[in-house]
Amino acid sequence: MTSTPETPSTHSAPEPPRSAPDVDGVSDEDVTGWRRMHPVTPALKGWKVLVAVLAIGWFQVGENIEQAIDLLHGPAFLALIGGILLIGLIGFGYSAIAWRVTRFAVTDEAVHLRTGILFRQQRQARLDRLQAVDVVQPLLARLVGLAELKLEVAGGSGSAVSLAFLREADAEALRAELLALSAGLQRPGSVPVAPPADGAEADAPAPVAPVPFEVAPERQVYELPMGRLVRATLRSGAVPVLLLVAAGAITLAVVSRDISAAFVLVAPLFAGVTFVWSRINQGANFRAAISPDGIRLRHGLTEARAQTVPPGRVQAIRLRQGPLWRGPDWWRVEINVAGYGQGDQQQRDTVLHPVATRDEAMTALWLVLPDLGVQDPTELVTAALTGRDDDGGFTPAPRRARWVDPVGWRRHGVRVTERALVTRSGRIWRSVDVVPHERTQSLGLEQGPIQRRLGLASFVLHSTPGPVSPRVNHLDAAVAAELLDEQAERARNARATATPEQWMRAVGAPTPAVPNPVPTTAPAGEVPGAGSTVPTGPTTAPAGEVPGAGSTGSPVPPAAGADG
Amino acid sequence: MTSDAVPGTREPFDPTDVTWTPVSSRLVGARLTVTAIVLAPILVLLVLLAVLVGAAWLWAFPAVVVLLVLWILWLVPRQVRALAYAERADDLLVRRGIMFRSLVVVPYGRMQYVDVNAGPIARKFGIASVQLHTASSATSASIEGLPPHEAARLRDRMASRGEARLAGL
Repeated sequence: MTSTPETPSTHSAPEPPRSAPDVDGVSDEDVTGWRRMHPVTPALKGWKVLVAVLAIGWFQVGENIEQAIDLLHGPAFLALIGGILLIGLIGFGYSAIAWRVTRFAVTDEAVHLRTGILFRQQRQARLDRLQAVDVVQPLLARLVGLAELKLEVAGGSGSAVSLAFLREADAEALRAELLALSAGLQRPGSVPVAPPADGAEADAPAPVAPVPFEVAPERQVYELPMGRLVRATLRSGAVPVLLLVAAGAITLAVVSRDISAAFVLVAPLFAGVTFVWSRINQGANFRAAISPDGIRLRHGLTEARAQTVPPGRVQAIRLRQGPLWRGPDWWRVEINVAGYGQGDQQQRDTVLHPVATRDEAMTALWLVLPDLGVQDPTELVTAALTGRDDDGGFTPAPRRARWVDPVGWRRHGVRVTERALVTRSGRIWRSVDVVPHERTQSLGLEQGPIQRRLGLASFVLHSTPGPVSPRVNHLDAAVAAELLDEQAERARNARATATPEQWMRAVGAPTPAVPNPVPTTAPAGEVPGAGSTVPTGPTTAPAGEVPGAGSTGSPVPPAAGADG
Repeated sequence: MTSDAVPGTREPFDPTDVTWTPVSSRLVGARLTVTAIVLAPILVLLVLLAVLVGAAWLWAFPAVVVLLVLWILWLVPRQVRALAYAERADDLLVRRGIMFRSLVVVPYGRMQYVDVNAGPIARKFGIASVQLHTASSATSASIEGLPPHEAARLRDRMASRGEARLAGL
């Protein structure tokens, strides 16, 4: 089975939005430079088939191993070995054929990927829609120095483009290339499409860079010590539950004088241990860095991941703290990025900091939103994290909200700044959400019968799928309605002045200098890695422009109509 | 109960500068037809059972179903009356519910795609539904019970406005 490039292939790529400029001018035949994955790929992927089959077999006989062993004397045993070998052969053979037909190519606008043996698939991911680039190294691949490159485009689950496996250095070079192209930089030697803004690019290194794009310089912002991760995981909510379950199992066994009674609780015990292990495994060696390409996150004990989220791709951010983390003042920081799916994968990909101290939480917030749009960001964040009522200019829920939420009503609150909406909730499980105005998708207002009687309403902000779903419960109905109106207006204005998808187009080429990441002293208007802030078009103001330049016309009052 | 239970000075689900377009009342017929299709066989079966067995207490089950039908007969017209939408210059508002109210504001620039659906029953009643999708799965902006020409007009209008105000994600 050979792959002929002329074979018409099914076009199952995520449809680009109807209104987007057409990139299909680059048809399949025009794309040159098709490349293959590393030849060791089938050896790494074939394993999975064998492991899966063995695991299924193990679970099948798991109940009665002795009987299974009895059956496996003489010819039956040989047949089993033969079967395993055959399955392995099929697995590796399939992977080898799959490898032969898999090719990818990178053009200035898109990444093309062809896969499939029986059902051909061609996928085209537009680079200006790139949401994140991950370099993933599972344990086996890591041992042989290979890596998988994953491109997230915001097309829902299964829309990621996975290039597996490449040599580690190649993967990193390719990542730099993709990020530079998606930032709107020109490939050296090609004719610029748009005339470059002279001021912005005259002394920039990018246009004259050597053929492989330079890897953007980066500066580490924080890292998570292993000790803190372990201590924090042991203090997470799962562990007390786990201890209770274990105690219950022992009590049960002692009372009933039958050890087998304890086995009822094996399943929850196993689930708890798995949870603790996955938290530690994913959070190990967690490091965050900042570069002109965006935020770099590296983590993982067995499977090493290096995520890059370009500027402006974080849709929302949440800081959370359970009751057991209150003593050491630790916070878990999570983000919404379009394209990072839900479920298991989400748990792993959407963490900006697994266990942050107060200062690190501030830094993490600053990474996403260099400018909160207030004079004193520290005061705002402190009020959001631990404050209640109208601390720090928050609009709280009115006193009558205690009838619907007797425990947490004093924590419900919202504060609107020039750049973002900050919501606060939870007295025992504290939670703070921040959404930049230009990332607002849609807004909603909800009211149940009791809320209606009390004159309350809940304000909901819809963000892309992810761990952050901002809402403010039980606001005064009139305040909530006003907030809805104003927020729609603010989001519209912010969108009009937001950075374009190709972020370097707005802020010029990167300079090697990376700003000093000190959250509290960072100049308000600075974009990470942005050397100069010269807009190339009339409607594109850089993200870090001083507030007021075309954004919300009037200064936002700290509390939009606080209740009396 | 409370001294500070001040009702909102202004109706939060009814902004002043907005003219609401209600959906077609034919939606009531469509929804009740669906209910009838589901509940009628159940009712018949339960009545048959009660008649055949002859025990008096078995009539309680069909009675419950009849009560349910009465409740739905009362509820559906209310729900349909509450469902309305409004087109503003830059966004679309969708309002629904009387007991549990919700109001959604969808900016045109955030619209990713628009669905128009019409099932067999809806087609019989001459209505269609329009659903707006943003990059957020939480956006629940669907308008049922639109006349087909209105659904088509809304769809085209949304698409063209979305295009004019496109801003990526």
